[in-house]
Amino acid sequence: MTDWYKIDRQGGDRLTDIRQFLKSVLGLESVSAMLVPRQLPTKDAVMPSLVSRPVLLDDADPLAPAFAVNSAKNISQLTRKGLDANIAAVLRPCEIRAHIELVKLHQSASEPVLIIGMDCLGAFSNRCYQAFLEENEGPASEAFCRARLSGAEPSNTVEISPACRMCEQPIPEGADIILGLYGISLDEGLFLQARTERGKEVLDNIGARGAKAPEQREQVVQSLIKERTEKRDQVFEETAAAVNTIEKLSEYLSGCVNCYNCRVACPACYCRECVFTTDVFDHDPLQYLKWSERKGALKMPTDTIFYHITRLVHMGTACVGCGQCANACPNDIPLTQLFRMVAHRTQAAFDYQAGRSADEPPPLTIFKEEEFDEIVGLGS
Amino acid sequence: MAEKSGSALVIGAGISGLRSAIDLAETGYHVFLVDKAPHIGGILEQLDHQFPTNRCGMCKLLPAVEPDQASQQCLRRGLFHGNIEILASAEVMDISGEAGNFCATLHQHPTLVDPNRCMGCGQCAEACPVEVKDTFNAGLSTRKAIYQPAPQALPGTHVIDLSACTHCGECVSVCPTGAIRMAAADRKKFKILVADEASSVREQLQTLMAGEGFLVDTAESGEAALEKLKSEAFHLVLLDIKMPDMEGVDVLKEALAVQPSLQVVMTTACAAVQSAVESIKAGAADYLVKPFSEDFLLPQIYRFYEESGKGRQRELSVGAVIIATGCRYFNPAEGKDIFGYGLYPDVVTHLAFERLISGTGPFGGRLVRPSDRRPVNKIAWIQCVGSRDLQTDSDFCSSICCMSAVKEAMLAREIGGGQVETVIFHMDLRVFEKPFQQYLDDAKRSGVRFQRCRVHSVACSEDGARLAIRYVDMDGAREALFDLVVLSVGQRPAEDAEKFSEMLGLELNPWGYLAPRPFSLTETSAPGVFLGGAVSGLTDINDAVIRAGAAACGASKAIHKSGGSLETVESADDGRDRDINREEPNILVILCVCGDRLKALIDMDVLLDRIQTEPAVSQCLEVDGLCSPDGWAKMLEELKDKPVNRILLATCAANAYAHRRLEIADAAGLPEAAVQIKDVFPSDWFAGGAPAKEQTPYNTGYVERCLKLAIAGLKGIHWGPAEKIPVYQSALIIGGGIAGMTAALAIAGHGFRVDLVEKAEQLGGNLNWLGRTIDGADVAERLQTTVSRVNDNSLIHVHLNSTVADIRGSVGRFQSTIGEGKNAQTGHHGAVLLATGGVEGATESYGYGKSPAVMTQKAFETARSEGRIDPAALSSVAMIQCVDCREPPRNYCSRVCCLSSLKHAMYLKEQNPDLSVYILYRDMMTPGFYETYYTQARRKGIIFFPYTPEAKPEVVVPGQNGDGASRLRIRANDPIIGQSVEIEADLLILATGITPVLPGDLMSKLRAEVDEHGFFKEADFKWRPVESLAAGVFACGLALSPRLIDESMASAEAAAMRAVRMINRQYLTAGRKIAVVRHSLCSGCQLCISACPYGAREIDPEFGRIEVNPLKCQGCGACAAICPNSATVLAEGSETEMFEMIDAAMGPV
Repeated sequence: MTDWYKIDRQGGDRLTDIRQFLKSVLGLESVSAMLVPRQLPTKDAVMPSLVSRPVLLDDADPLAPAFAVNSAKNISQLTRKGLDANIAAVLRPCEIRAHIELVKLHQSASEPVLIIGMDCLGAFSNRCYQAFLEENEGPASEAFCRARLSGAEPSNTVEISPACRMCEQPIPEGADIILGLYGISLDEGLFLQARTERGKEVLDNIGARGAKAPEQREQVVQSLIKERTEKRDQVFEETAAAVNTIEKLSEYLSGCVNCYNCRVACPACYCRECVFTTDVFDHDPLQYLKWSERKGALKMPTDTIFYHITRLVHMGTACVGCGQCANACPNDIPLTQLFRMVAHRTQAAFDYQAGRSADEPPPLTIFKEEEFDEIVGLGS
Repeated sequence: MAEKSGSALVIGAGISGLRSAIDLAETGYHVFLVDKAPHIGGILEQLDHQFPTNRCGMCKLLPAVEPDQASQQCLRRGLFHGNIEILASAEVMDISGEAGNFCATLHQHPTLVDPNRCMGCGQCAEACPVEVKDTFNAGLSTRKAIYQPAPQALPGTHVIDLSACTHCGECVSVCPTGAIRMAAADRKKFKILVADEASSVREQLQTLMAGEGFLVDTAESGEAALEKLKSEAFHLVLLDIKMPDMEGVDVLKEALAVQPSLQVVMTTACAAVQSAVESIKAGAADYLVKPFSEDFLLPQIYRFYEESGKGRQRELSVGAVIIATGCRYFNPAEGKDIFGYGLYPDVVTHLAFERLISGTGPFGGRLVRPSDRRPVNKIAWIQCVGSRDLQTDSDFCSSICCMSAVKEAMLAREIGGGQVETVIFHMDLRVFEKPFQQYLDDAKRSGVRFQRCRVHSVACSEDGARLAIRYVDMDGAREALFDLVVLSVGQRPAEDAEKFSEMLGLELNPWGYLAPRPFSLTETSAPGVFLGGAVSGLTDINDAVIRAGAAACGASKAIHKSGGSLETVESADDGRDRDINREEPNILVILCVCGDRLKALIDMDVLLDRIQTEPAVSQCLEVDGLCSPDGWAKMLEELKDKPVNRILLATCAANAYAHRRLEIADAAGLPEAAVQIKDVFPSDWFAGGAPAKEQTPYNTGYVERCLKLAIAGLKGIHWGPAEKIPVYQSALIIGGGIAGMTAALAIAGHGFRVDLVEKAEQLGGNLNWLGRTIDGADVAERLQTTVSRVNDNSLIHVHLNSTVADIRGSVGRFQSTIGEGKNAQTGHHGAVLLATGGVEGATESYGYGKSPAVMTQKAFETARSEGRIDPAALSSVAMIQCVDCREPPRNYCSRVCCLSSLKHAMYLKEQNPDLSVYILYRDMMTPGFYETYYTQARRKGIIFFPYTPEAKPEVVVPGQNGDGASRLRIRANDPIIGQSVEIEADLLILATGITPVLPGDLMSKLRAEVDEHGFFKEADFKWRPVESLAAGVFACGLALSPRLIDESMASAEAAAMRAVRMINRQYLTAGRKIAVVRHSLCSGCQLCISACPYGAREIDPEFGRIEVNPLKCQGCGACAAICPNSATVLAEGSETEMFEMIDAAMGPV
């Protein structure tokens, strides 16, 4: 479904229009609360917040270039055990993709959540966002938005995160309602697209009126995707060269202190208890000595490469490329590049794309007798 | 495991024999499994890939429920089952007695190698100077006179080919374990008489044989020979066929009258078939042509000498006999069109081709020409060589060659990376089983070419480099060049079919095959004797396995009926149920030091020191000479009263001991799993390949690593008390057609209660409207007897006008609701059989519904039996085959329709010879001996027009399109003559095939799968053809696939046998190597549920937890592999254990 709607300019800026729109959605009887990035009252920080009082949406800021956590994890918390209410969630495309993966893994439910997806302009890492705030003396979301849409650098000091720079999926395809930004003049009203029956119903109910598709949009999006894809492939090439032997991979990951923050931040890493914190890796004290004796010296903590390779194996088919792993790393290991590269190739091998569709079963859950013939066939 | 409540003899250990043996053994009988060959597996040993999956999977014959009953390993390597005694290299000489009480006399052929000593090292074969053609590789390579019969067999016990061995003794001297016995001392006791007129011959033979140590006497006349035979006992006589005073054959007859056990070999200088036949008939043991070379004669003499040894005869008491000796293959050299076979080395039979591409074959799996080892680029298959050919007296189809050629062509293309061109020259393509049409389509898609024609000849190309096939198609005579030509040779009856026929009074069909009784594929005229597999005609694996199951069912019933009563099998583990999981690992390491050899290679003190630092090892025991019976016995003695709970036996050639693990376990009072036998040094260390002394530290490190790896593995073994689930000892059968009734009678015949649920108001299903079979057998009569037997059986409870409204539970414990409303009953059953049948396919094609003259086969059959068809009033009848069949969406052959059409056509023609009958067909499906009806039909003048799906016939109904004609008009293209034809017909009969009737809701409640056409999805088409992957759920009859009445009944008996295997147990014991869920770690992602192929996992609705059904779980580990955080673990396969093993393997060198 690709029905476009328009809500006319209410005065003020884009952010005001968006807040107004969100309020009208939250005002619907069918929506009990709304998960949306919101400026915290105490500080300039922007965090996902579950808002139930519409007036507090005056602080909602989905345009802010902040991406502290992937909200798919929050939705999991809200729906995993069953939620007897309906909520709306304002999400970035990679959050939607992660949400879809978690639904397939039975860690989230899709039914209670109305997804409002934002065209994604990218975000800073947590640290860079602080620098951006200082530079602009405040959130400056509108300015960021203008800069990004006009192709200008939003900051003189910091770049948006590597994951966003190589992201070729900036459109929130899996949403019920898309809030369009690309190819739409900032001075016009809001352009919204209903992607599902449910989204259409909501837009009809809040009185949005049907509109023609924004003319420039398709072309702008396509050229953006092309540019990002090129960027992505370039990153893949560089990353492959940096990790194509076990020695290079060790070097790449040498800053890792086994804090496992990347795992905590990863939306697809859904285990309640990670295998690396179970008895499996709780080695016998004597074992460490044995290893040390054999090799002469043993790097502590151990199992670092093993940990990352395991995560690549486990999450390779579910990685949505949101970049939260790198965002969470205290030692600035470029994990996103590594994970995206491996995940991209793994998913391509199975003709699978994480988060593309709730109807595609995860690759390893289906058994095909005739596949990977080059590996298992007679001719190999 | 089980009470030996009766025993059975299975003759032939091929696919069918193995399946029958396993079925009977799992039911609780003791089984003697006899094969003439020195290995089990029959032809399967030679086939690496089988259609329609292009892979093997034979291990799927092993029990999946209660898997610990048999050693779970590749069946092509060997079978170890507590209830099966395998007697290889043995032949059944006589069977007497009656059902329930047969006495079978067995002759054990000598192999001269003691299997308990042979380690399979192969040094003997290296030393052997005699090289002969390797029949295993279809003569494409050579082997020695002492050899390993199948390359993959374990342990790799060697045998001596007595027809080739010269007794030179080279192998005896190199055998490291003294396993080869060629005792010279007894030769002095073996008395040979040479009777020949020529003194030169007498002298030559006497010198030669006396030189080998035999006691030789001579006679120059028949009279003299008989004189000697009367005065003293001889073992062997070499008798010339022309003696000066009398005919050799007369001497033979008198000699045998004097000494009945005497072996007489006729010799002659001028061979003649007639005299040979006459001699053999008169009782000669062999017929040899002079002059003899030493190399030829000695093996023959030794063969008689060895065969005469003591203890070669054995008598077995059995309750039933299954003959599953398979069939032979046609030798193309015997035919009129030999297609260059024997002339050109690159013309091979399809069996030779299988070996040619096998990894264990003569060329290591490379696709090369036998003649010059150059790569093959273009291959032709010629079908029907020795099949469907009146010239070679083979008015039958061999049933499997179309599919095997398709498979071989696909494999060739795969091996050649798609570069190899493959062409199959064929007549009809017989794709008569459910998956075959799609398999054929796959082959076409993958680029295999099909050429419909008869091949004229194969000759060498002009440049001599390739083979030229000449054939005729629509455009006339043609020639095509190939690198390799494969002849799909047809079947011939088993060598001993005639022998068994005489021995047991069994019927042979006109082509010499043992013939079953009408309406059965396995029953014979001798009660208690059954036929399995290809002995009554070549079958594919699916059919062989079904027939084997049916034969086992018949045998089991026969034993049961004759009082060899089938007691309920106790799944007891006689004290081996010790829970060693709860004990700290306490390992005894037994190290075989092989005399001084090991000490010479490693530093034993250092090794022992390092091993004993391992806390789990309590003792390290050095033993010697395990490969000798004394050494083995001494080792077992040492095990008594050792306070250990795990044993590691470290040797060379561990495979040679694998089957003796139980002996060690018993001696130590441990479960078998607590004993591991591992190689810790390469056997070539002791076979000339020993490393230098200065490598001692390396060697010591090597052994240490191997030992530690094995110790790490042994620490983690899992053997607790297995879970036992009580079984409802009765069966539920849904569907009261012939399949359901047959299954009910088979199960009730074992003393178990059956609920038979039929939705109609009467039993019988499709048999209610069928008159006679094409064989002329009376269907109605059969139906009547079956129905009354069912009704008279007090164990069978028939529920008419009923359906199964609901069903829950799983294997061993199904709870069902039979019927609805206030008549509903609750059923408790251990097994469920779906016999829900099928119906004639619906159609709207070819004018059906627009004219009463267009009818289906069923309508015709009904009208005929009701007397509504008057053949005399008809002048022309047409039939169209494959209506809406064999193409998507119903892309399968319905099996029965070609035979029905032939039946109807011949009926019409018999009733009115002036009547024209036309059959428009794609491929006539008359596999096996049904081919003869096709031949008969053509002889009767029935006219066959082939058509292709691209150019289907067109039917014009009277009155249609303003057509004024009064008769139907059918237009068709005949691709053979390349012209279109138009037929006018009074009647058009459409073969619309069969569609299944399988209740989808029940299937999903049973967690059993339905295939894309709505038929029951087998656990495995080839190997587990009557059961679902969901344990305890079986199917038979049309629910399974389109099939004839006898085939439905065979599937019903096979399914019944499988059900009896379950419900004759009071408890089902789960396997020990199964998966468990650690709920505290589980995130509930359910990936494991999707990954489990056996439907063994589900969410417990009460706690929302993932639960594993221990009987369904096969321990495959798919769940453990997909679970990211080891919340699911496989007993014996945890990460901790694997890490430790990897660590040990990567240890210092």
